[in-house]
This record gives sequence, C-alpha cells and structure tokens, in this order.
Amino acid sequence: MGLGFLVPAFLAGLAALLVPIVLHLRHRERDQPRRFPSLMFLRRIPIRTASRRRITDWLLLLLRATAVALLVAAFARPFLGNTVTESRSTPARAVVLLLDRSLSMSHTAVWPVAVDSARRIIAGLAPTDRIAVVLFDDEAEVAQPLSGDHGAALAAVNAARPSSRGTRYASALRAARQILGGARELVGEILVVTDMQRSGLAGLAGLELPADLGVRAVPVAPDLRPNAAVVGADVQRLSDGDRSRLLVAARVLSRDLKAPRRVRLALAVNGREAAAREVTLPANGVTTVTFDGVPMAAARARATIALPADALVADDTLHLAIPAEDALQVLVIAASGARLEETLFLERALAIGREPRFVVQRRSGAPLTTAALRNIAVVFLVDVPVPAGSGGAALQAWVEAGGGLVEAAGRRLGARPPAAAFLPGTIRGSVERMDDRGGAFGEISLDHAVFAPFRGGGAAALGAARFLSYPRVEPAAGAEVIARFDDGAPALVEKLQGGGRAFLLAAPLDAVTGDFPLQPAYLPFLRRLAIYASGHEARPSWNTSGESGLIPNSVRDPVVSTPSGALLRPGADSSRRALALREAGFYDVYEGRASGEPLESFAVNAPAAESDLTPADPRELLLGVRRGDSAQTVSAVPPAPLEREGRQRLWRLLLVAALLVLLVESVIANRGWRGTAETGRIPPPERSLS
Amino acid sequence: MTAPATYLDPVLLARIGDLALLARMVVDGFMHGMHRSRRVGLSLDFAEHRAYQPGDDIRRIDWRVYGRTDRFYVKEYEADTNAAVTFALDASASMDFGSGPVTKFTYGRMLVAALAWLSQRQGDRVGLVTFAGDLVEIVPPSTRHLRLILHTLGRAKPGGAGQLRPMLERAASLTTRTGVTVVVSDCYEDPIAVQKGVGSLRGRGHDVILFHLLDPAERDLPGDGAATFEDAESGERLPLRPESLREKYRAQVAGHRAELARLLAQNGSDYVGLTTDQPLDVALHAYLEQRLATSRVR
Repeated sequence: MGLGFLVPAFLAGLAALLVPIVLHLRHRERDQPRRFPSLMFLRRIPIRTASRRRITDWLLLLLRATAVALLVAAFARPFLGNTVTESRSTPARAVVLLLDRSLSMSHTAVWPVAVDSARRIIAGLAPTDRIAVVLFDDEAEVAQPLSGDHGAALAAVNAARPSSRGTRYASALRAARQILGGARELVGEILVVTDMQRSGLAGLAGLELPADLGVRAVPVAPDLRPNAAVVGADVQRLSDGDRSRLLVAARVLSRDLKAPRRVRLALAVNGREAAAREVTLPANGVTTVTFDGVPMAAARARATIALPADALVADDTLHLAIPAEDALQVLVIAASGARLEETLFLERALAIGREPRFVVQRRSGAPLTTAALRNIAVVFLVDVPVPAGSGGAALQAWVEAGGGLVEAAGRRLGARPPAAAFLPGTIRGSVERMDDRGGAFGEISLDHAVFAPFRGGGAAALGAARFLSYPRVEPAAGAEVIARFDDGAPALVEKLQGGGRAFLLAAPLDAVTGDFPLQPAYLPFLRRLAIYASGHEARPSWNTSGESGLIPNSVRDPVVSTPSGALLRPGADSSRRALALREAGFYDVYEGRASGEPLESFAVNAPAAESDLTPADPRELLLGVRRGDSAQTVSAVPPAPLEREGRQRLWRLLLVAALLVLLVESVIANRGWRGTAETGRIPPPERSLS
Repeated sequence: MTAPATYLDPVLLARIGDLALLARMVVDGFMHGMHRSRRVGLSLDFAEHRAYQPGDDIRRIDWRVYGRTDRFYVKEYEADTNAAVTFALDASASMDFGSGPVTKFTYGRMLVAALAWLSQRQGDRVGLVTFAGDLVEIVPPSTRHLRLILHTLGRAKPGGAGQLRPMLERAASLTTRTGVTVVVSDCYEDPIAVQKGVGSLRGRGHDVILFHLLDPAERDLPGDGAATFEDAESGERLPLRPESLREKYRAQVAGHRAELARLLAQNGSDYVGLTTDQPLDVALHAYLEQRLATSRVR
C-alpha cells in the first residue's frame, strides 16, 4: 500500500513553509514598538544584532509550519494505492503511428527523417505494446492494423512512399480513434509523424477524442523550407480557322526563398517544349508568367508547365489537359416562310461567347433526316411543330440517343397546337396579356442548372421581360415545370427522353410578342439552356489529386493508364464511370486496350495548398479537438467507487489535523509564554525614593 | 481630615484639573507640616535705588532723588528683591512619558505650579518659560503673573525634540535682571552641554535649581522579552531584550545623574533628581533649602 497524490502540483505549496519562518523572524518588526523617552543610554550599550534574529518560539514555529504542511498535503489529495499491484500490472500501450505521406513530405529534407522517426518509435516500444500504422494524406490508409507484430509495422513504414495528395490531419485522427476504440483495455496513444503543415489543420474543429487519449506530434521538418511551385494556370484557346493558338498564363508560388531567384519556366505541349520564360521569383509571393501564344491543332493536347527541380520536386510541374476545340452544333428550325427576324435574336445570342462555342445552322421547310442531325448537339424548333412522319421519328430517336430539343412555342403553335408524344407538354391555345401590359416570369426554379446564372439576385433580370402573348402549356406526365409565368402558366417544361432532354419553352424568343430578346437576361438564359440541353459539361484543365474524373459515355470499354504506368479497367457496367485520380500526372483513357491515341485525358496536380510549407505549432494539432469522456481505463480492473473514495479521503483527515494544530497554536500564542514578551505598557517598578 | 501627605501624592494630584487649586493644596499641605519661620519671611527694609524702567509703578519713583539728580529712580525694598523666579519647563516629547498614571510632564507641571504658588506666597515675582526645540511659551516674571502661569501650564502640551542647552541660553538672554531660574527637565543631553546651558544662566547672575525628572521605568528599564524601543522624539527604533541590558542601562542612568550633579555643583547650581513616583514635598523641600541658602548668601 503506497501513498500517492491526485494533484501533486499542489505540493509546490510546501514552499509556503517559509512564510511562518519569515513571519516569525520578522515578528518584532510587526509588534507595536515600545515608546521610550530617549534611546540615548541604550544606544551607548553594545547590542548583538544576531541575537535579534534568533528564533525564540520554536514550538510556535513548529506548529505553524505543521499546519501549512498539512494544508498543502490535503489540497494535493493524497490517496492510498496498491502500488505493488499496479507496478506488476502496468497495462500495455496501444500506439497508433500516423505517418504523413502527403506531397509536402516528399521534400528531400523531410521524408528520410520521417521514416527514421517512425522506425525509432517502433523500436522504442515495449514487447507488450501493440502498434498500428496509418499512412495518411487527405485520406487515411491503415497500413498495419493494431497488433503486437512490430516487424510488420516496420515493414509498413519501409514500404510507405509520399503521395501527390494534400494533408488532412482530421482524417488520420479519426482513423486512429477508430482503431483505438477496439482496444479500450490498453493505454491509447497517437503519434503523428508529420511536417506539421498548417494547411492540413483544416477540418480538425469538431473532432472528438477521448480525454485520456494521448496525442503527440513528432515534427520532422525544419522550420524553413524554401519552395517554388507552379500552382495554377489560365488556359485559353483562340481559334483561327483550322488552327488555333494556345494562350497560357502560369501562377508560380514562392515561399521562404533566401533571396529572389531567377528561374526558367518552360511550357511543353504534347511533350515538346513550346515556350519558355525567364522570371525572377520573389522570396515570398505569387508571380504570374504569361507565355507567348503557341500555335496548335484543334485537337486535344497535353501540356506541362515546369520549373527547375528543387527540394520538393512534386509541385514543380503543373499538368494540363487541353480539350479539343469545343464547338456545339445548334440546329435552328424555323417555319417555312418565317422571316429571318424571327430567329435573328436566337442565332445572334448563340453565336456570342466561347467555352463552348456554338455553331448555328438554320433550316426552314426542308425535311429533317437522321443525317441532318448527326453532330448536332441541340435542336431549336422555333414556333414550328415536331415534324411528322420520318422526320419526327428521326428527331425522337436523336433525342433519346442523347440529343437536346427545345420547342420554342409562339403564336403559330398557339393557334395550331402540335401533337408530339415526346414533347414535355401540350399546347392549349394562347394567353393574351395585352390588357395587363404583358405577363412576366413568375415562379422560377433557380436551383435548376438552366437558371444557374441567375442565382444570387439575378432573377430580377428575368422578371424584367414582358410577354404580350404566349402559348398555354399543359405539362405532360413525367415533365417538370422549371419556370412559370406570373399567372401560373408553365413557361419552361423539361422532360427526359432516354439519354436526352426535351424542353417546351412558352416564352416567345422574338421581339414581336414580347421584349425578352431586348432584356439582359436573354443571352445567358439561351446559352445555359442550349448547354444544358446538349448535355455538354465543361472540363477543367486539370483536376486535383484525390478528385474523381468521369469517363465519357462514348467510351464503352475504358482502359485507363495512370501516371505511374499502371493500367486500370473501370467497371464496365456503369454508364458514367468515375475514375479516382490519385496520382499527379496524366490519366489517359483508351477504348478496349491502351494503344493509339487516347480518347480522353485527365491532368492531375497536387492541391496548391500543399506547396505552402508553412509549419504550424504542434500544439495547434489539438486546438479544435474536443476531448470527450474517457474511453480508456488505465487498469484492467477498476476499483469500485466506494473503495476509490475510501482511498482518497485522507485529505479530510489532514484538513482536520491542520485545524487542530492551528487551534493549539492560537492558544499557545495568546496564553503561553508569548505573554512574557508582551509589548504593552511597561510595568511600573517598585516605588523607591532616589 | 486628610493627612497632609495625601496632598503631595502626585498620583492623587494628577487627578486635579485646576492647577491653582492643586498648587494651593500642595503648598498648604506642605506648609502644614512646617513651622512658620522667619527664614522664609519677608523684609520691607529699604535696599537700594534702582533706575526707573518702563512698567514700574510711577508712585514708587523717589521724587527727592529726582529733584537732586533729575533722573527717575525707584526705591527697592528687601521684599521686592526676594527674587524674580523663572520656571523653565521642558515640554519636549520625551517628557510625555509615564509608566504609571503620571507622566513626567504632568509631574513637572504640578511641580512648577506648586513652586510658583509657593514663590508667590513668599513675595517672589514668578515667570514661566516652556521649551522644546524652541521657546514655546514665555511669561515674564511678575507678582501678578501667577494666574497666567497656571493658565499657561494648563494648556501646555509636550511635543517635539528637546534642546536643553540652547534653550537655557535663550532663557538667560530674556532678562537682564538676576533672579532664580528653576529648570524642570529630563535632561536627555550630554551633562557638559547641560552644564554650559546652566552656566549661561549663572553668568547672568541667576541662581539655578535643576529638577531632573525621570520616570521609574527610565531609571530601571523593566520588562522581559524581545521588544522594539522607539525614541519618543526622533522615532528611531531599536530592537532589544531589556533584561539583558538592564544592569548596564541602570549604570548609565546613575552615572548620568551623578555627572549632572557634579557638574552643576561646580557651577554653583543645585541639582535635584526626582522620579515621578516621589511626593512633591521632596521638591519643595529642596527648593526652600536652596532659597534659604540663597538668602543667606545675600
């Protein structure tokens, strides 16, 4: 049975023992001095100063010091514990080693140190300790489950390599918490071997860890790591007939350079250097470097922007996938005899803008054939019904194959309602709004992709348009009304037809029965409607590692070659197969087998934040982490509450003892021999005649 | 009837607020035990002529002498020349000390009042000087100043640091007339300095009686245990244990008193050591003895 203290920090209060000693020695200084007529004679008598500082009341001093010591001991909460038993049953530890393998760890001065640190941690474990190894970047991967096999843990560390991905400590800590949740009988500890990159702290807020779970960071990076990285680029293709020019502006980040550095930035297109610029990078900052225009074919291309290699090589090159020149073919079908002005605004609106660029064909009166619909992305039927017969069948087949149809109804269709099964609605006459100065858009589904440009207050622009007359539409079954007029009549109805989309637009697109073409909302509305109807999706020039890329539906049997040269075959049963982009570089998508020209390419780069190597204080690792209730117990068999309370009630006894000692001290101080040293009135001597 | 000695007990007298009553009681009580004697009686025999001074009663001008000399002279008789008795009372802070109910200042005030009353009864002109660091109150000697003296004594308060020698020297310069100067002080000064101060009075023809007042505690240094002593005048503090210093202290005090007595005797002055627990008749006796001796000399 041994004595311990729950709050040993209070034992520092034993320094207060000096207080009664000092007070004792200074007691006379605090006494009321004895007034005496003159010290003339007393000054003439030699007095030993040392004798004034002598402790005279040893018993009082002892009592006071004892009282202080008892109070300090009581506050330190002493307890009786079976130390022998505890020392024998010292529980084993469950250590989760979190090894940061994010891109920033690939710094030449960091990764070897990190691996060495991890090895030392494993070597320092007791034989009974269990260990798990988790490799993490923005995801956590359990490389070695919790076990007593230290050799396997060492092998997992040796096999670890830095990735191209960002840092997220939260995911690693969650994984560790989950691992330790299955080992509650052990003393849990989390060791994070990391470069403490500040950008990785995001997401820690709200994470909850058990209060008694030890978390310790093992920083392995120097405080300053100079780094330069290409973190982004603006890519623009300018068409010039069959040829086009590529304009590229790169953003270069420099951090903690000792001095401004002159570097050569090279732009390579399809593996060949196409342009280069000499630039001076500041010690800290972002530099934008614009390359000269690079002539290139209209086909898809791959490009890289590269800096000279430094200590962190992985972010010195930015990969770009430049899509083929993107032009959507739009077929505008007008009524025979229709004037050019009826489709003028529509054609002009679609011709404006890039990414994607629209190429408009106008047909009037000619029969619609399957051949005419080849390569067409969107068909606008401008106030004409769906062609009957083979033309209508071809159009329906084309829509169900993925085409986009917009039936823009007007006065003609209002007078002669068409009948087409695949249209999203039926027209039932016209609504004349001449009397109330025209109708307007009313309820609009702003969360629909067509109205994306009008989110955040832009809907007012749509509401400014006035319509004097418009067809009354009755939505078909399965159709969705995504916009209505202010009288509640459907203005835009959508219906999915197989792989394509069909729209019925009741808002007139000409300037005869309304002023919609004259409103600012006309152009963005039409472009978004055409893009959405065509199913076109803009592809970014690059993806960030960790994201997913979508393999086009046109690739029936995709085979993907990864930047490291591995071949992947995504599941063939999914119409839109997601491709996990884990590595930095180019992912090439082939049909059937990996040969020839790839059908699609994905450029993948590490997150730009990973290039900022600014370290955080290790204490920040747990700043936002909530410490919940204890999930661990130190001993295998915890003592019962009554027993625990019994072992800890010594403080009460000590407190009572201290009070008793103070009581005795008071009695002695007031009644004891201190009376002989009273400082009151001087007792009169015996009367005598001198 | 109360025993006469009762009237001389300083503890009882200290309870009497009226100094005039107190002085009369003391003197009456004192005289009650003595036979009236000529040695303390008065004489009305002509003594001498003296030049007229402003303030003198013009009725006492000797017009015959004026007729002969064309100068004003007044006749002085033996009774008028008994003495101009000036009482110099130390009112420094050290006098405000008493281990019993009577402080040295209270005792000194009673003593001066009684002596002044007695002197007045004997026909002396009485005056008063109180001093601490400077002269505080000055009452010129006069046969009509007894009430003023008692009133001044009644409102006097001790305080400040005392300087006996310069005060005696200044008191000596107050008048050119000779007389008797009664000094009441605790004499916390070097005996040589006291001798010189008294000497300046003696040099101007004054007879000097020094009543050296001490509290019994000043004489004996009672008390045990560590204590801090504070000088009443300077505020200086000295931590010490009295029991270990008592003998040396007593020797110092006794030596001081003996030295004062010796040096004043060399000056032809009288030294009377008193403690505040002594009845006032000791002082009165000493005073009368000195006055008798003076008259014999005269």
